Amino acid sequence: MISMNLADLIIMAVVYTNMVSQEVSQKYLNYFLFFSPGITITALFAAAFMIGREINRELRREISHYLLSLPFSRWELAFGRVLSGGLRGMVYMAPLLITTIFITWVFTGNIPSVLGILIILTTLFLVSVGTSGLSITMSLSTRSFEKFVTARGVVYYILFFCSSVFYPLDFIQQLGREGTLPQFLVLIAEMNPLSSGADTTRAFLFGHPAYSPFMLLNVALFALIFVLTASFAYLKILQG
Amino acid sequence: MVKEAVQIEAGGNYFHFYAAGIVITLLYSMAVFISYDIYEEADHGVIEYLLSLPISRRELVLGRAIGGGLRSFLYVAPLMLIVLLMIGITNPFRILIAFAALFLFAFGVSGMSITIAVSIKSHDRFDILLGALNAFIVRLSTTMYPVAFMPEQYATLAQFNPLTFAADIFRWGAGLEASLLANPFLSVLGILMFFSVFTFLGIIFYERQLEGGGWR
Repeated sequence: MISMNLADLIIMAVVYTNMVSQEVSQKYLNYFLFFSPGITITALFAAAFMIGREINRELRREISHYLLSLPFSRWELAFGRVLSGGLRGMVYMAPLLITTIFITWVFTGNIPSVLGILIILTTLFLVSVGTSGLSITMSLSTRSFEKFVTARGVVYYILFFCSSVFYPLDFIQQLGREGTLPQFLVLIAEMNPLSSGADTTRAFLFGHPAYSPFMLLNVALFALIFVLTASFAYLKILQG
Repeated sequence: MVKEAVQIEAGGNYFHFYAAGIVITLLYSMAVFISYDIYEEADHGVIEYLLSLPISRRELVLGRAIGGGLRSFLYVAPLMLIVLLMIGITNPFRILIAFAALFLFAFGVSGMSITIAVSIKSHDRFDILLGALNAFIVRLSTTMYPVAFMPEQYATLAQFNPLTFAADIFRWGAGLEASLLANPFLSVLGILMFFSVFTFLGIIFYERQLEGGGWR
């Protein structure tokens, strides 16, 4: 995964910078700078999502009996799994976020304030635990690894490509107004937690798009829903 | 979103160019999957059963490579068809040539995947190595973007990438000639070389590992 994100940054982002129209990316200086926070958030998402694969394997191999014999409560176990998935996402994402901040500083001289960094980290942490919860919920809904992998692929691509990870949200909205992109896809992109995570990072790195508390609220709601759903689903499976 | 020059380099329509590239990326990703089956078989002790079958080791290995290639081709066929209908089939004869070359490409990728898997013998290491290889081999090809927009060093590597050959031959078959990097004959030749080397290597390595429980 590290190599994939590195390849995205040092190959794909560089090539797309030569291809993307300056009108689309001029607010961020160039597409490379716009794309860097997007790669950070995709790395966070992919790493946090890995917990689902592990839990699905545990489910198939019936390791739950061993887990139940451990000296802590079922709630602690369930919540711990969701949290650990989220923390993994943060640990994995950290070097990419540092690289993004460094690249932005080199090109623009901008460095986010301490408060800005705290808001970025809080937002990304919420995206990460929400993703972990989403992944666990999906992995518990089927014992078949193939079905889980298929569902994971669908969720990955909808959330990745229907977001502001690869293209600015105002460009997506413009396409919606022109009728090129269906309105429901525009709505998904606006509500997508990956959009909120990437745009929060961009807001404090470039000042564009303008930061809105809605971004934090959106990811907080996403995290709350999926942490609770995953914890309940995990408890139910453990007890079953 | 992309510059006008990109549309020109992509043969007039970057969307068609990209769609054709995605088919090749998917074909590659599916063909690589054969090695996970081999690891699963080793984990579950199915290899002993396979060795007891009345077929030679070589037939078994060749069958795995062909099976992997064929499966990936069947998986990708619906998307391939949609893309071809979207682009518009202008010359069915060319499409057939492209399909034949892509069959060989998929077998070659399966062979490459088997060669790496049986050389490493560790599922985790294989996962890491394949992840790294996939990340670079796909991005350093012309599946997603025309070579004209790549920095010089990347462009040089892309010209020798089997995915570039496959993308080129598929685009040629679909009638997107203006976007081709090289003569289609050279692309077919590149795919043939890739197929021959990796199918041959895959057979030798797998055959050796099968003997005396060497896959464990």
